[in-house]
Amino acid sequence: MKVKLLCRNPDEYIRETKKDIHKVPRNYDPALHPFEAAREYTKALNASKLDRVFAKPFLGSLNGHRDGIHCMSSHPSSLSTILSGACDGEIRQWDLAKRTCTRTINAHEGFVRGLTVTPSAESFYSCGDDKIIKQWRMTPENPSEKEEPTHTIIGKTIYEGISHHWRDNVFATCGQQVDIWNVDRAEPVRTFTWGVDSISHIKYNHIETHLLAATASDRSIMLYDMRGSNPLRKVILKLRSNAIAWNPMEAFIFTVANEDYNLYTFDMRNLKEPLNLHMDHVSAVLDVDYSPTGKEFVSGSYDKSIRIFPIEKGRSREVYHAKRMQRVSCVKWSRDNKYILSGSDETNIRIWKANASEKLGVLKPRERAAFNEVTKLKEKFVHHPKVRRIIKHRHVPGMIYSAKKEHAIIKESRKRKEHNRRVHSKPGAVPFVAEKKKHVVAELE
Amino acid sequence: MTSLEPKPAKKKQRKRDLKFPEDQSTKKETFTLDVDKIIRTKNFSRGPDIKKNYTFSGEKGHRKKDKGVKNVLPNKSSQTQILKGKGLKNQTGRLQGTQQKHGKPIKSRFQDRKTDPYPGDAPIPIQRLQKYKRGEDKYLGDMKNQFETKKLKFREKKISDAVKQAARTETLLNEQPGFLEVGADEDITTITQHDISNAVDITSAQKYFELKLKQFGPYRANYSRNGRYLLMAGNLGHVAAMDWQTKKLMCEFNAMEAVTDAKWLHIETMLAVSQKQWTYIYDNQGLELHCLKVMDSVLKLEFLPYHFLLVGANARGYLSWLDVSIGQKVAGFQTSMGRLDVMCQNPANAIIHLGHTGGTVTLWSPNIKEPLVKMLCHGGAVRAVDVDHTGTYMATSGVDRKLKIWDLRMYKSVHEYRIGGGAGQLSFSQRGLLAAGIGSVVEVYQDPCRNVVESPYLRHQCPRTVASTQFCPYEDVLGVGHGGGFSSLLIPGAGEPNFDALEANPFQSKKQRRNAEVQMLLQKIQPDMITVDTSALGKVDVKTYAEKIEERNKLLFLKPETIEFEPRHKKKGRSKTGHHENRKQGYKEEMKREFIKDRVQEKLDEATRKREEKKNRDTEQGKPKGGALSSKGWQGLVEMSIGMWHLEAMEHVKRLYGMFRGYVACLKAVWHVHRLCGMS
Repeated sequence: MKVKLLCRNPDEYIRETKKDIHKVPRNYDPALHPFEAAREYTKALNASKLDRVFAKPFLGSLNGHRDGIHCMSSHPSSLSTILSGACDGEIRQWDLAKRTCTRTINAHEGFVRGLTVTPSAESFYSCGDDKIIKQWRMTPENPSEKEEPTHTIIGKTIYEGISHHWRDNVFATCGQQVDIWNVDRAEPVRTFTWGVDSISHIKYNHIETHLLAATASDRSIMLYDMRGSNPLRKVILKLRSNAIAWNPMEAFIFTVANEDYNLYTFDMRNLKEPLNLHMDHVSAVLDVDYSPTGKEFVSGSYDKSIRIFPIEKGRSREVYHAKRMQRVSCVKWSRDNKYILSGSDETNIRIWKANASEKLGVLKPRERAAFNEVTKLKEKFVHHPKVRRIIKHRHVPGMIYSAKKEHAIIKESRKRKEHNRRVHSKPGAVPFVAEKKKHVVAELE
Repeated sequence: MTSLEPKPAKKKQRKRDLKFPEDQSTKKETFTLDVDKIIRTKNFSRGPDIKKNYTFSGEKGHRKKDKGVKNVLPNKSSQTQILKGKGLKNQTGRLQGTQQKHGKPIKSRFQDRKTDPYPGDAPIPIQRLQKYKRGEDKYLGDMKNQFETKKLKFREKKISDAVKQAARTETLLNEQPGFLEVGADEDITTITQHDISNAVDITSAQKYFELKLKQFGPYRANYSRNGRYLLMAGNLGHVAAMDWQTKKLMCEFNAMEAVTDAKWLHIETMLAVSQKQWTYIYDNQGLELHCLKVMDSVLKLEFLPYHFLLVGANARGYLSWLDVSIGQKVAGFQTSMGRLDVMCQNPANAIIHLGHTGGTVTLWSPNIKEPLVKMLCHGGAVRAVDVDHTGTYMATSGVDRKLKIWDLRMYKSVHEYRIGGGAGQLSFSQRGLLAAGIGSVVEVYQDPCRNVVESPYLRHQCPRTVASTQFCPYEDVLGVGHGGGFSSLLIPGAGEPNFDALEANPFQSKKQRRNAEVQMLLQKIQPDMITVDTSALGKVDVKTYAEKIEERNKLLFLKPETIEFEPRHKKKGRSKTGHHENRKQGYKEEMKREFIKDRVQEKLDEATRKREEKKNRDTEQGKPKGGALSSKGWQGLVEMSIGMWHLEAMEHVKRLYGMFRGYVACLKAVWHVHRLCGMS
């Protein structure tokens, strides 16, 4: 007779010393793991609940300005440094890690309209309502003295925006016309005009660095090539665009923030219709900025909220608001993809997490594995009604809530009207037009 | 039907039929020899195919690669020799890396051979892959969208990789299942527990013991989920909990009341005991924690560990579920099936199986008042029920002295055995052994579900009638509670050799137990998710036929125009509100009837027009009249269209007359439809 009985040696299953971690032998036989689906579902449900519990995106605010913030600019190499310009002509430099103001400059009379840092990060430019462009050192030579700009350009018209080239010592300003400036010269090296309206916002492309995009008050978005003498293209939307942001990963894609509460993502190569239409704001969108991954962007609106949109989605994934936050005039996504900064009318700059429920700081490997697991599970069960309800729910201020309801009613009635018109007119007289196409008026070359 | 009663005449033959548990070594052999069944990964092939494979598939590429390597290491002649080998596609990269690291070439295993005889990943036996697979592979052939196809293909690949990975981890399992082999001259049934305990090592031998407790029996025994702790409850009130391996007593007390059943809860610090009147929860010190008055005169207890549900079957036919994590009753139904003293749970889907005196077995979930399934299993009363731990097979025994094995996927009997006195107790082990308590004898059968067993694997004579049997999880031990106490028997090959520490850990420390409890509570499955098919939650929610039909009907439904009508004002009290309203409604209905009539007429006209057209076309083409369809056929078509319309019209009328609840109105409506159809 040959017999073998199960007999486990405890040494193989119990840790040797108390300083070791516990031994966890695994057996992946499905028979030992019953109720797989139900347990995974429960996990996903709990994770989505916890996600909402830990969603505390507001990290802090930077206060010091004495008037509403009008523009912001981040530092190309230092994550903790940002610059902000206010409506009273004051520029402040901030240390984000310490949340303190490190420097104050009384730069302009009236608004500071634009701020831009040179790629080498040695200096930055500002322009304002006083028709002056000023260049400032990033680190002041003598902090105790009153600061003077290193370089001043006095122009003939108001400059409404400024953007620096991503590589060369060239920058562009906009106002009544678009000017390209060389650092060494007092006059613009090139000037673009198209129509008579004023141009409110201008941005250089990150990748195709000689490309520029600008938004004008005649409801148009214009594209320029710095090397040519004429503007490239112009697309006119139904309402005016307030700001523009290039996708940092895809050279030909940009997003504009529009007065009609929407954002439009365009492919530069085909401006006839936007790639995507992003709806959720209930008031004019004032600023937009891309995340460094190029997958998402953040927008600040006149409805006192900030929203985060994935570029391929029409609806926002996140909305941030604070009790005391007023109209958001500028937003920035930090270059480590972790934080969002917003400047608003009530003189504060707010720091938010880009992922509301993300745990900050270093994660242990097991912690990270656990996070990865539940993230995947949430993805897997996102279409189950209970999970979806929790994941989608956001509390918004009453103003936004009621406005949203109202807009839904308006939209519904428009739809109904269109349908009725279609039913009661000759077949084909009221054609179906895609929502995307409705907002583009014309494309000019 | 096969008999299990020992028949001396057939003894010799039986010996030949005896099946031994598979030795691991023999298993391995079958795997390696079965080349056809082996999945080939990457360039895997065997024997003479190897060379062919390489010369065809990638010779050019190899040479190029080889050159590159040569440039890196120009002087190592021995190495270049190796690298010239044709089959080093997978090796070159690796070798290169190691050389750069150490600065000088490492002597390769394959130096004296031309090719690696086992290139690529090690093959995985197909049976083993099957074990880890969930569902069938998706067919992704005819999808329209390429983007989605790619995405799905990527997902499918991930899934299959995960299956492979899981299957590969089996090589890391360090325990082998137990077995018992006898020589040709021995009879396996004559082997006693003494023989086994003498043959095994001392630690295993200690697992065979008898507790002689003659005063308070018969005893019911229950092992904790990790198999470490034993709970015994004597019918006359004696309750004892112990760590049975170290024989350390945790608590012992007398409930001073008849005890019918006792079960461990989710951890070994809490136990539920059903007593004559109420059910109680004690801690492992014997302290009474709760008295559950919602569960009275319970005869059998079950605990569903993933749902934290304590299930009690009552002497008056009442079945109740209690959530022990919140202490609330989840559900309770009067089964109206009489005394419920036969109960078991299906460990795979948490459904409760009850055996009844009429010979039926009923399946219950806490969500539905009626039994999910009612099966007639035996001619007489059902004495014992148990379900194996994969939830596929159910074993029942009745007073008709039969033991039946049922396939729960089909609810059909697969095997039927006749046992001497009939089994009063049944229990499956983790590896599919079945123990049956027959009077005072315990018999164990090896895999009675998939094979036909001819004789018991082991048998043991207890001092008195067996009252409960349970295999200890993760051990080769069978616990038998009987009138004279408790016996712990050695059954080689009963328990799962490799436990998963995140499910049940016999070597759990206190801290681990606490962590595990929190995890279990976090992952508690809600009772409303108890279903027969546990995978339903992970499946796509496809619309049922009824839902589809309803949706289609909605589309088909014609919306009649709104009828604005204000009756003329009449004098002399004839325009009272009631009269006014009656006239208004009457007019509206008249209009609606007209509307329906018009639609019917329209449809019919259309049909006639089409018919005419077809006729004309046929005659133009020179076909004989009625060539395609005879006049009868046309009539049939028209009738069909009327029939369809009839259905639609019925829907209409239902809605129109919905406001009148009266039967007469309904009749009228139906009559109206018939009239309409008759008219046309």
